[in-house]
Amino acid sequence: MRRSSDTPPRAVITGAGVIAPNGSGCDGFWKAVLQGTVALDRVSREGCTHLPLRVAGEVRGFEPEPLVESRFLVQTDRFTHFAMAAADLALEDARLTGDPQAPFTIGVTTAAGSGGGEFGQRELQELWGNGPHFVGPYQSIAWFYAASTGQISIRGGFRGPCGVLANDEAGGLDVFAHARRALGHGTRAVVTGATEAPLAPYSMVCQLGYPELSLAEDPHRAYLPFTEHACGFSPAEGGAMFVVEDEDWARRRDARIRAQVVGHASTFTGTRSWEHSRQGLARAIQGALDDAGCDPEEVDVVFADALGVPAADQAEALAISDALGVRAADVPVTAPKAGFGRAFSAASALDVAAAVFALEHGAVPPTPNVAEVRVDLDVVTGHARSVPLRTALVLSRGLMGCNSALVLRRADDGGHS
Amino acid sequence: MNGPVTYDELASLMKGRAGLDVDTATLEERPDAEFAVFDLDSLGLLGIVSELEKRYGRSIGGEPEMAKTPRAFLTIVNEQLKAGV
Repeated sequence: MRRSSDTPPRAVITGAGVIAPNGSGCDGFWKAVLQGTVALDRVSREGCTHLPLRVAGEVRGFEPEPLVESRFLVQTDRFTHFAMAAADLALEDARLTGDPQAPFTIGVTTAAGSGGGEFGQRELQELWGNGPHFVGPYQSIAWFYAASTGQISIRGGFRGPCGVLANDEAGGLDVFAHARRALGHGTRAVVTGATEAPLAPYSMVCQLGYPELSLAEDPHRAYLPFTEHACGFSPAEGGAMFVVEDEDWARRRDARIRAQVVGHASTFTGTRSWEHSRQGLARAIQGALDDAGCDPEEVDVVFADALGVPAADQAEALAISDALGVRAADVPVTAPKAGFGRAFSAASALDVAAAVFALEHGAVPPTPNVAEVRVDLDVVTGHARSVPLRTALVLSRGLMGCNSALVLRRADDGGHS
Repeated sequence: MNGPVTYDELASLMKGRAGLDVDTATLEERPDAEFAVFDLDSLGLLGIVSELEKRYGRSIGGEPEMAKTPRAFLTIVNEQLKAGV
């Protein structure tokens, strides 16, 4: 089954690893998403409870030890702990292990927007409280956005193409485009995705400047995208990592193909106002569909960005309408993140996980906490909807102005070679 | 305190500062094995030097952070501490 050398490799997802506020592992996360479980809750993290941000999606009970060796834990922040643990889950799911004889066949690409704020705060407090000698040398690498890519690469011996995207929320989709582009030329797989840990005092204070942040007190009313009560978004932590693989290689090793990555496009419309995101997001959707060779009528489900800010929600609804035409009126649209929060760059990676599982199960999960919507979209609320799904469109916009769209397809043969 | 810093102390610093499980006996048996064999990287060694400087209340010259092996490292550190630099 060798393809001709001028055909680019087809990218497929062969493994997923999820650590999220509403559940971890593929099964735990999907079960919670399908049921519309609300994991948003009052902020309980130490040093954060006096801040005006009251509701967030915390990953509770996550113990990085014994998942990750202590020598990697001492030099990394919580966001990298999530990344290493989720990467392990994804690799295990894909039944893929690094080959020491061929270290360049696997690469790593992650996105991060918040970085290692908790680690950085601890070390800077040592600097100001005790002096330079009390700052550990790992401060030089742990806070940095690139830390997760670097540590996953070192730990797994993955020396193929590596990259880091530090743009904004859209980065969690853009990493799939980077991974797809890296395949071929000797690269068989890329460990890719995004994780964030922005629920620590310093990181949280940084977010307080975002007018889009919801300061509401009730976990069931804080993040209500597409409704008349929309008052911003609730942040979250955690994320998802995947194995994106050259389909030829995946089939050759008899891997289970969970989904195909068939289209992506991104645009930038800046931070002036959310109305401008309409044109940019519509263009990204059109670009991704063109890339996938997919007609709007073929889109079976949309995983929305769902910022929860009225102007942004309206712009997204119009963008979907602009790009999908008549299909926009009846395509099921969902935002599972309304139940567990928006984990910055990792929010869209978690949406990709939900989309992959939705394609596999033929079910569109509901948008938790949302009952009546005020946009002209068929937003799935209440209960999951069973419907045959072949093509999913995942959307993301970032607070810094990036807009991205990703098109996923169910494997032609249900995933089995 | 003027030392000397022992393999035992080095092993506990490798655990505390770099998260490495290396026991004293192993370091004593293989004092000329490179730190890389024990998974200790250059930043980890730098952290150990920094911790020793705090413990002994002085800066340690002679660039011990450039040492490649436990024996070489302890030799530099103890010479520096003994000299009282």
